[in-house]
Amino acid sequence: MRTQVRARNRAYEFEAPEGQKLLFAGLREGVDLPYECATGTCGTCKARLVEGELKDLWPEAPGKKHLKAGEGEFLMCQCAAAGNVTVEVSKYVYAMDPGVCMPQSVSGKIAAVRHLTGDVAALDVDLDSPVDFDAGQYMAMETPGVPGMRGYSMVNFARGTTRQEFVVKKKPGGAFSEWLFSGDRAGSALALFGPLGKATFYPNLAKNLLCIAGGSGIAGMMSIVDRACQESYFNQFKGHVFFGVRTAKDAFYLDELAGFQARFPQNLAVTLALSDEDIPESLPAKYPGLAFDRGFVHEVAKKRMAGNYGNIRAYLAGPPPAVDASIRFLLLEARLAAENIRYDKFS
Amino acid sequence: MTVKRICLASDVPTNEMREFTTDAGEKLLVANSGGEYFAVQAICPHQEVALCDGFYDGCVLTCHQHLWQWDIKTGEPVGGIAEAPLERFAVFVEGGEVFVGSRGALNVGELFSGLSESTLSKLQALAKVEEHAAGGALYQAGDPADDFFVLDSGRIEFQIGRDERTSPAGFMLRKGEVFGWAALLDAHPTRIASARVLEPSRVLRINGKQALAVLEADPASGYLAMRRLAGLIARFLAAPGAR
Repeated sequence: MRTQVRARNRAYEFEAPEGQKLLFAGLREGVDLPYECATGTCGTCKARLVEGELKDLWPEAPGKKHLKAGEGEFLMCQCAAAGNVTVEVSKYVYAMDPGVCMPQSVSGKIAAVRHLTGDVAALDVDLDSPVDFDAGQYMAMETPGVPGMRGYSMVNFARGTTRQEFVVKKKPGGAFSEWLFSGDRAGSALALFGPLGKATFYPNLAKNLLCIAGGSGIAGMMSIVDRACQESYFNQFKGHVFFGVRTAKDAFYLDELAGFQARFPQNLAVTLALSDEDIPESLPAKYPGLAFDRGFVHEVAKKRMAGNYGNIRAYLAGPPPAVDASIRFLLLEARLAAENIRYDKFS
Repeated sequence: MTVKRICLASDVPTNEMREFTTDAGEKLLVANSGGEYFAVQAICPHQEVALCDGFYDGCVLTCHQHLWQWDIKTGEPVGGIAEAPLERFAVFVEGGEVFVGSRGALNVGELFSGLSESTLSKLQALAKVEEHAAGGALYQAGDPADDFFVLDSGRIEFQIGRDERTSPAGFMLRKGEVFGWAALLDAHPTRIASARVLEPSRVLRINGKQALAVLEADPASGYLAMRRLAGLIARFLAAPGAR
């Protein structure tokens, strides 16, 4: 389907495969259309239909609350072209930078689901063809028969790999996570699109890293720290990782985090924050290289980072209230420049 | 300038901000910066996010959604992320009450905001206000490029190419946006794009040569305007196919 996108600065034309969401059709052609969640929630990919017809693939998408009724507005992440279309995006749209990992459609199979806590599982996926991604990015995925895509950040970091690892938290009412948790899903087929997301880390950043993650938000941070460790980044720069969960039994990836920390004991600090209980003695005994503290993750980070904000780039992920609270103290108290605070808003 | 009463000065404590809605239904944000009052647009120019939900430290206003930031005193972007300035309103405080006046398109514009008052009023004197109905053309590719335009309201679309072989090259919808700026360059024989009126629009038409003479007479303002023009051109060089 011939698709024309009229942006404020110029127009783009590309061919959209039948049934493919317009956002994905544009991204795979290197047109950096606006999006954040890419899965029907945030409303960032809003556009207006000028000519032609669309097929709405998820009429119940919650992101529709951001649309103005009666003005032809729609979500590019949920609508496909039904014939040639012209749409208008009231934003500046640029071509993607050369050399970025190009987003693409890819199919895959679930290799394994490993339960990490009562409501969090590691999801390993084998893709049918390799997809390069940057540390901090995510994939949108769905399984046939369960409507609506979900975005999950990659935990691992590798080039040219067909293996992607994710963390999935069971969300009541979350169609994908309920499906994943309700049976043995190894071998199930997945349809994925990605990589997506702009909260990326490159080793040429040359700044100290601050990662603040709540719950399953740790996934993208694992990829960032993994990449930094692969490049021995922490020989030169400091890393501060704060991981917040409710109680000790909600914590996961402690072995992996302790492993990263042990490789760079001088420069990499990892702190687990428990919001709902005091630190059980067993934790520091088992993980002498990790630090532990009681409190919300943004409060613990704020307390322990005081006076340590020189040359810092912060990455944030997790529940929106934790991310918002972190942004607030990093901007107003730590006085970080906005460009050094990176996150992808999913809601 | 039409002036409206907005609130009591005491409604907005020092280094805080509040959103208000005028009788005409227009929303604006009043900020107190160390006892001085400023008024700017209430909605982020990026997406439809209320700026009063953002962060304000008494100097810099930050939208909480994507961290676009502005200097509250000038409305100019700071911090390197924001891509557009905030529309500012003139503020008067009298008898403990805050009054706000709306500014002309020249004053909020991407080229001329912040110029000296005398230069702005000379440019204003050069500006002819034109109302255009939807569907008309302001200029066609190949026309002489003598005048440039500042959008006050409405929506203008650009097409490059001629006759049947045209392609869209973006559109303009923000008060103060400047187009047809080839008229401000030395070598500017003809238009390379055509400008079509998409919605009923009000524009200011200004002769390029006369505007350059005004800017030359006030080199500090002229320098600022030329720097902005260079930035504008660079932005469109980065996006080939633009106006």
